[in-house]
Amino acid sequence: MKDGFQVVGIQQQIQQNVVKPQNQWQGKPILSALLLSCIVILCCACELIITKDPSYLDLQHHSTAPNSQFLFGTDTMGRDIFSMIWYGGRISLFIGFVSTFLTTAVAVIVGAVSGCASKRVDAAIMRMVDILLSVPDLLVVVLLQAALGSPGVVSIAFVIGMTGWMSMSKVIRTEVRQIRNSEYVIASKCMGGGFFHVLWHHLAPNFISSVMFMVVMSIRSAIVAESTLSFMGMGLPVEVISWGSMLSLAGQALSGRAWWMILFPGLFLVTTLVCLTNLGNHLRGHVNRRHSNL
Amino acid sequence: MTGEEAEPLKIRNYITSMGKKLLLFVISVLILSLLVFYISRLSPGDPLVSYYGDRVEKMSTQEREWARERLGLNNPIYVQYIRWLQNVLEGNFGISYKYKMDVTEVIGGRIINTLLLGGIGFVFIFLLAPVLGIVCAWHEDKLPDRILCRIGTVTGCIPEFWLSLVLILIFAVFLRWLPSSGAYTIGAEHDAADRVRHLLLPLAVVVMSHLWYYAYMIRNKLLSEIRADYVLLARMKGLRKSQVMLGHCLPNVAPAYFSIMAISVPHILGGTYVVETVFSYPGIGTLIYESARYQDYNLLMLLSLLTGITVIFCNMLAQTISERIDPRIRSEEEGSLREVKEQ
Repeated sequence: MKDGFQVVGIQQQIQQNVVKPQNQWQGKPILSALLLSCIVILCCACELIITKDPSYLDLQHHSTAPNSQFLFGTDTMGRDIFSMIWYGGRISLFIGFVSTFLTTAVAVIVGAVSGCASKRVDAAIMRMVDILLSVPDLLVVVLLQAALGSPGVVSIAFVIGMTGWMSMSKVIRTEVRQIRNSEYVIASKCMGGGFFHVLWHHLAPNFISSVMFMVVMSIRSAIVAESTLSFMGMGLPVEVISWGSMLSLAGQALSGRAWWMILFPGLFLVTTLVCLTNLGNHLRGHVNRRHSNL
Repeated sequence: MTGEEAEPLKIRNYITSMGKKLLLFVISVLILSLLVFYISRLSPGDPLVSYYGDRVEKMSTQEREWARERLGLNNPIYVQYIRWLQNVLEGNFGISYKYKMDVTEVIGGRIINTLLLGGIGFVFIFLLAPVLGIVCAWHEDKLPDRILCRIGTVTGCIPEFWLSLVLILIFAVFLRWLPSSGAYTIGAEHDAADRVRHLLLPLAVVVMSHLWYYAYMIRNKLLSEIRADYVLLARMKGLRKSQVMLGHCLPNVAPAYFSIMAISVPHILGGTYVVETVFSYPGIGTLIYESARYQDYNLLMLLSLLTGITVIFCNMLAQTISERIDPRIRSEEEGSLREVKEQ
């Protein structure tokens, strides 16, 4: 191969002759989808599988290593980690979905308004978005938290949703700008279609494919944000069980060498995130199947 | 038009575009400072607590009133803002309520640590990402590429704080090889080896959590690049695979990579606050959190100005880089330029 003559560029023709039997499931993230739906369903129906009351403080058995009674051990307050994981997953996932819904709603509205507006208004809105992007995330979260009062599940979801819409709105704006002068949009406007009618029936179907990926990724980043905030003591308090607030006891766990307190909630968290990422990457799709020229 | 006539025109265009950018920069920073100023003043909380600590509880209403007056907190917000702006223009950023020191001093002692952590992390990411990307693109869809993609996706997903915890658990608690917190052992501030040992774990977290994002981007860009026709031509001329990859494809990917890395500077530098918190590393990330939480206004303003300026500056840098390198963008008018950049 290395020395002398080598045929290049011929592979394309060979490729055409061989018709591969296409497997319907090939290249699709089946495993991720299955795992994710397992986690979601079991978290929603956690009453069926949990063995203990997740919020019961069994102080006699605090910080016990995993055994047959406590499958994943207990934390420093004597709560059963196995039960907490399923119970807390519900809250983590809820926050992920609710804040993504908020993010998407705000992003679509800002993006569409900016995309449809005149050049100056558009520039002003985009400049504003840029400035908002340059305010440190953490700052906005802390300040919003302070303004909303004591952190609860809904307020956390709101805060996370309000800090994550900027980049999505930029993508939507670009998409809208490309199609806003198409004949069908103008026709719809001429027939008296209002802003939201045009947005929903004509613009949304066009940008939905490019936004789907970002929506899935935003669920992921919302879950990460919740767990990070709760871990750092800015999010949910320890009594409200979520994957993040379970890990906020990690400091004590480290000094007690209690690896199970850190490992198990984190593993569930990471599994969920990896599944979401795989799904998101699949949605982004359009893998280039042309043969490499190299 | 001959080249000699075009030269002064070019310079004048260059100066006007630079002036425009500078103006935009100043306006953005001003709006940012106004925004942060108002949000922080309007959010509930008592700055007196951060100034006087627990003594606030025992103060009478009169004393409180006097203290607020002294700190200038009784004026309307816009008056406070204008006063703050005047002081800043004279180079006076005020004192930190909590540390009772000049805010520049408070930050000065810590910013080095953050720059060290973020800067070294950035350099590692900047250099390693193309290497990984090339390895993946070289072995596209073969075993090395698949393994790297799997590992990369997983490490890219792990939240920074959990990665830090696991690393501390393994290397500091169970193996006892590395220290778990701080930037240096007390009493050994000037020992370089000690600092490096403290830096290793946080650095590993910073690099691992960001690296794959950029490596994957380079991989995908290279993959679409090696499907271009010029690659076939180059191969037909008899160039080796490595020559085509490194000599043709990589330079074509470089401009996009540079501009993305420029945008990412504040992201990587400023994104260290989680790591700093977990490792109790004395950087400015923890300061931002503290100052926002305890209404330490002057400190908060300077910190958010610093981050804001870095973000805006790096965005402009990225734009300039892609303009300089890619003549297609340079020649177009500004309006369409912005759209090209965002796609």
